[in-house]
Amino acid sequence: MPVYVDVARCIGCRSCEVACERVHEGLGHVKVHFVGDSASVPIFCHHCEEANCTIACFSGALFKDGERTAFDVEKCTGCGLCSLACPFGVVWTDKIAHKCDLCDGRAEPACVTTCPANALTTDFELASRRARVRAARTAAQGGRR
Amino acid sequence: MTRVLVPTVCPYCGAGCGLFIAVEKGNPTGIEYMRDHPVSEGALCPKGNAALEILRHQDRLTSPLKRKGEGFVEISWDEAMDLLVREMGGAIRKHGPRRIAILASSKCTNEENYLIQKLARLLGSPNVDNCARLCHAPSVVGLNRTLGAAGMTNPIPDIASSQCIFIIGSNLAENHPVISRFIHRAHDDGAVVIVADPRETHTSWMADIFLQLEPGTDVALLNGMAHVIIKEGLFDGDYIAKNTRGFEALRESVKDFSPENVSEITGVSPDDIVRAARAYAISPASSILYSMGITQHTTGTENVQAISNLALITGHIGRPGTGVMPLRGQNNVQGACDMGALAEFYPGYRKADDPETVRYFSSAWNAEGLPLGPGLTATEMIDAAALGEIKAMYIVGEDPANSDPSSRNVHGALESLDFLVVQDIFMTATANLADLVLPGAVWAEKEGSFTNTERRVQWSFKAVDPPGEALSDLEIVCMVGRTLGVELDYPDAASVLAEINRTVPQYAGITRDRLGESSLVWPCPTADHPGTPILHTSGFKLADGRAAIVPVPYRPAAEESSWDYPFILTTGRVAVHHNAGSMTRRSPSLISREPDLYVEMNVADALRLRVADGDEVMVTTPRGETEARARLTDGVKRGVVFMPFHFPGTNILTSEVTDPEARIPEFKVSACKISRRD
Repeated sequence: MPVYVDVARCIGCRSCEVACERVHEGLGHVKVHFVGDSASVPIFCHHCEEANCTIACFSGALFKDGERTAFDVEKCTGCGLCSLACPFGVVWTDKIAHKCDLCDGRAEPACVTTCPANALTTDFELASRRARVRAARTAAQGGRR
Repeated sequence: MTRVLVPTVCPYCGAGCGLFIAVEKGNPTGIEYMRDHPVSEGALCPKGNAALEILRHQDRLTSPLKRKGEGFVEISWDEAMDLLVREMGGAIRKHGPRRIAILASSKCTNEENYLIQKLARLLGSPNVDNCARLCHAPSVVGLNRTLGAAGMTNPIPDIASSQCIFIIGSNLAENHPVISRFIHRAHDDGAVVIVADPRETHTSWMADIFLQLEPGTDVALLNGMAHVIIKEGLFDGDYIAKNTRGFEALRESVKDFSPENVSEITGVSPDDIVRAARAYAISPASSILYSMGITQHTTGTENVQAISNLALITGHIGRPGTGVMPLRGQNNVQGACDMGALAEFYPGYRKADDPETVRYFSSAWNAEGLPLGPGLTATEMIDAAALGEIKAMYIVGEDPANSDPSSRNVHGALESLDFLVVQDIFMTATANLADLVLPGAVWAEKEGSFTNTERRVQWSFKAVDPPGEALSDLEIVCMVGRTLGVELDYPDAASVLAEINRTVPQYAGITRDRLGESSLVWPCPTADHPGTPILHTSGFKLADGRAAIVPVPYRPAAEESSWDYPFILTTGRVAVHHNAGSMTRRSPSLISREPDLYVEMNVADALRLRVADGDEVMVTTPRGETEARARLTDGVKRGVVFMPFHFPGTNILTSEVTDPEARIPEFKVSACKISRRD
């Protein structure tokens, strides 16, 4: 159940950042990046199936738990290999590793609920349907918006 | 440990999002999202997420303060009231009540605003106003004239059912972020989104058609669209015939606004003007959303009327998905206006210059000597203070020393008062000039109703006590009233709302009992009325039931660029800050994301001035100068620069020239020059 991002919907308000920090005692796991003046993209943990961070982690602190890339704080040595291994730059090491935990214990990740623009969802079907609708419209209009 | 979730209404913008505050042992410990809220559906913007950071902030005022030399000393409430009766009471006795002025607060509840304006009027002063003067005064004047009601005509979620959304002069993606979700929803269903703004903004990212007009040329653009709609026969003749008057005069007045002529004035291509006009006119349901980019001009009222004209000639009003939507910037600026905290209106928009109004309230309040005639507006109060015509002021939860234009002059005016009382939650720039500072409460420390931008009245519950000696603003206003010898005895907000139910017809059915369960949208005339989410469904509340189409001439902005001041400075907000910034600049997770005042300028202009991204530059207008960090962009055209107004530096620069009718200053157009700092 990773978080899917609809970049066309993101309005760059950074609410996801503030919400994530709020529910994780100040250590946020999402960063919104601005691409010139024309777009903003929240960069999240993808909870990769073959997650580089889990492969790099020799202590077993990072591991796959179903769809989730989970983290066992007890096993973390703070070596930082996971931060180097992550291709998206969303695993941080600050004494120990920290990364998106999909808001364990909440009904839905805080970033998803709080996103004012509905740019984030955990529903893969919704995310892919939106992409198809956009593709269909672009095709129908011959590439014009 | 028991954890209670207290439902409250977010204290920032006018969207009126709901949020729960988690309270454990009397302490606020967290925020929970309110998923079944009709507007926010659980969402919160960054400011809403950070709201708790100001609730228990170390800078909160916790005791009344009296000026002593350059500083302040803590005093008791009794001493504060002694000082107040001596100085404020003294000013009234010596100079008469018309020489004092009161600013109500669009951050306070309806009940508090009702009491603040009642206090002013019971004292005999017509001079009561609120910061709506600096945001939507032209909407109040303009829309009351053309449509007979000034509020948003349709609710926020209704935008999702629109087939064409025309956003002009509003960066809602940053200022009212949750509205974006409804625009996306409409867009998914095939709606065309048109955005008109001098800047490429986060809102313009949503646009199918983006019209980048020169600042202050809105009337020309809107008249140009009306020209196209009339010329191409895209207007709704039936609707015009049945529901409006004045169409022929409009047809005549927009004759010369051909797309080519309008393009010359606005800088928007003729093709885009035609595309936008056609898209707006032919869709089955089109809505117009606007905000400060329309109102904060010397032509603010005219801009609003030009918008109203477009909606009326196409019949895009009074149905789902249509409407004229002024988006209001503060959590209760709509309510403060409804409650009569305005120079020209008593509660319920009863005209202050109508003797019948005074008769009505004299009887309703059992009072004599209520003032007739419009009082001084917020901007006029400051001018009058500078001239010595206003001797004492009581300012509740407003920061004119930061938020008014040409703020150096405002400082001087406030300093020249014989006595200034400021009631606030932080030591703002205005409070710093006061003789007496009274510590008020934030939203979560009191209960009462707030009215959001779509006229939805919601009850916000008390989560925690105010810090230290601070009191709810309702208690303070009642205490001030008793001290000054007027009868203001209300035990709680519910008892004030009961009086509002009797004296404000639009709120007659919005009782405390009904608000406990859910929210209601005014007008709600009776206790069993469901509320009125969509206005003007059958005719208009004007003399003959018809809306007025009012031809609007185009006038350029008061200031234009010159040899000495070659750039046009326009101002606005960013997502992580709010208004004068006294709250958000103290909120760690917000200020860390936007810590400095910056000036956005075109890359080509910067190159010519040898300014690089991030350089410190000096921005100068005839009113003063300010340091800011250059932010280079292609998002503003050459010759236009932008600064957010959340930092004290910005309004040192802005122009104090006002709209002749609504008295709103032209914050959005100031000629300036920019120079390197070395």
